[in-house]
Amino acid sequence: MPDQIPLRALGRTGIKVSALGLGGHHLGDVATVDEAVDLVHEAIDAGITFFDNCWEYYDGRSEDWLGRGLKGKRDKVFLMTKVCTHGRSAALALKMLEESLRRLQTDHLDLWQIHDMAFDNDPALAYAQDGVIHALDKAKQQGKTRFVGFTGHKSPAVHLKMLQLGYPFDTVQMPLNPFDGTFIHSFERQVLPEVSKRGMAALGMKSFGGTATSIKRGVVKPEELLRYAMSLPVAVTISGIDSLKILRQNLKVARGFVPMSEQEMQALRERCAAVAADGRFEPYKASLLFDNPQARLAHGFPLDPYNKEVKEMFRLVAGGTPSLK
Amino acid sequence: MDQPHQDDAMSFPTDRREFLAQAAAAAGATVLAGAGNSTSSAEASGLGPSPIPQRAFGKTSDKVSILGLGGYTLGQSASYEVAEQIVREALDAGVTFFDNAWEYHQGQSEEWMGKALKGNRDKVFLMTKVCTHGRDKKVAMRQLEDSLRRLQTDHLDLWQIHEVIYYNDPELISARDGVLEALSEAKRQGKVRFVGFTGHKDPAIHLDMLSRGYPFDAVQMPLNCFDATFRSFEQHVLPEAIKRGMAVLGMKSMGGGGEPLLQGAVTPEEALRYAMSLPVTVTISGIDAVSVLRQNVAVARGFTPMSEAQMQALRERCAAVAGDGHVELYKSTVKYDGDVGREQHGYPSPKELPL
Repeated sequence: MPDQIPLRALGRTGIKVSALGLGGHHLGDVATVDEAVDLVHEAIDAGITFFDNCWEYYDGRSEDWLGRGLKGKRDKVFLMTKVCTHGRSAALALKMLEESLRRLQTDHLDLWQIHDMAFDNDPALAYAQDGVIHALDKAKQQGKTRFVGFTGHKSPAVHLKMLQLGYPFDTVQMPLNPFDGTFIHSFERQVLPEVSKRGMAALGMKSFGGTATSIKRGVVKPEELLRYAMSLPVAVTISGIDSLKILRQNLKVARGFVPMSEQEMQALRERCAAVAADGRFEPYKASLLFDNPQARLAHGFPLDPYNKEVKEMFRLVAGGTPSLK
Repeated sequence: MDQPHQDDAMSFPTDRREFLAQAAAAAGATVLAGAGNSTSSAEASGLGPSPIPQRAFGKTSDKVSILGLGGYTLGQSASYEVAEQIVREALDAGVTFFDNAWEYHQGQSEEWMGKALKGNRDKVFLMTKVCTHGRDKKVAMRQLEDSLRRLQTDHLDLWQIHEVIYYNDPELISARDGVLEALSEAKRQGKVRFVGFTGHKDPAIHLDMLSRGYPFDAVQMPLNCFDATFRSFEQHVLPEAIKRGMAVLGMKSMGGGGEPLLQGAVTPEEALRYAMSLPVTVTISGIDAVSVLRQNVAVARGFTPMSEAQMQALRERCAAVAGDGHVELYKSTVKYDGDVGREQHGYPSPKELPL
């Protein structure tokens, strides 16, 4: 009997979730729906309870596949998805909520988060009269979600603005890894303490830096990065997993998890700082690489025609059928 | 103009310069009338066109034209013949400030400018930039020799550190045996008269550079009516540079690739007038066609600055589209970060990471 994945308190909600979570974007990267369903089943069997997703991932495919994987197992998991208004209205948000519930084959979410607070004017737009914040209240009142939060990968200043404007979020999601920990714009140093102070649950993401370039270049090992991220004061580290191989690699770290000591963490930070002070291993902060087509369109940023999701979007617009394999 | 990378499919139509020129032509009549431009009255009285005004270059006794010719876009002209015509007409119109950089189009921008300036070197204030991107003094001095050879001259008027845009650049630049030592050495050797630095990314990086105390003569930055409400160089850096008596060189008066103009937020004339109305020495303008040169020269001749009230009104109009940075892609994306700098900083190439 292998060691268990630890469960941790989700802020002040009274809920506990597994310290490792399954990311929804990478689930949509899996080759076929059957493999995606297998991945979800093995994750549940291993003790993962936290499942991440988002309305806009692969134009709904990620939610659709997760919904199929959770069939008959919905009550065993803590299910989160995200709403993708990107500055648009609460009414649009509630429409997206209905689509998410339908694709995920459930009547309620455990957590519904505002997706991708990336641009400097996003907080003002979210809090505007008829902004997405008002949809969060409504969804809670209707019993369609138990908790609410927001996510973003771009700028600590944007997160801090969201917190300062005062909405009582249950959770806040952010990139957390040793590159972030030493970069000039650091979620770990600037945002994480503020979130903890408010009793909100911090959800970590991008433990490998989004593209895992630092691993590919031999700067760090995946185990080191995941251990670092899970050693921070977070409720869960959401991990992008697109194969059973990566799932098993990450489960090895999560099972019977032993946090790094502060000295170990500091040594890793110093190693990373020496090679990453220009932001090279955090492309989600330095570039638009991680800003989804929907976010770019809503804000008037150019699209990247080589992006997989953009290609798929163009294909659908041209009359193609969704690629549910 | 600092270095944007080549046009690619996701950006705007390749004929955007032409579009801007057409937009200018369409808007021209009203703008010229509204500005009370002195050109037409001077021409009517038989005195010829008004000259392009000159301004003092920082604390020095040099003066340069308030409109400068950008080197990056010169290298993008349809042919060398077009580039030569642009340089000739610019000289005739009274443009004296010429911008360039070692890395623009693998040297073609410097070569074309050098060839087109032949015989007129003494009439201009010639600037180029060094592209060490964190590498040492030796690399810088080698690049200086390349630049002098291509520009067909024995000295530069201004040599600037190019593209200070990564957060560790100030540290790398100031390191022992770094590019700052090359600036001082080149001055001692009489190969450059003045030195400075440029960058388009973040006011905090410029301020870091200034805080380290090296006596730069000049500093270059994006200055336009969109910048004022998004990570603003105008608010944060410009006053610091002026306090130090440095020459301020404005660039990206039209938002880099002209995207905001294509979106109809402002006309080219408004954008250029705004930039030139700031307390800068020169506004370096990206010009890759004679029609664009003429459009911009028309604003520069007999230039009358906007009033503060007019500038504020324009800032407010632009604020509605400027708040998320999508009209200043050089700050909000990696689109304008050049190949050599990316390579030195371990970033993917423009093809792999366009934005």
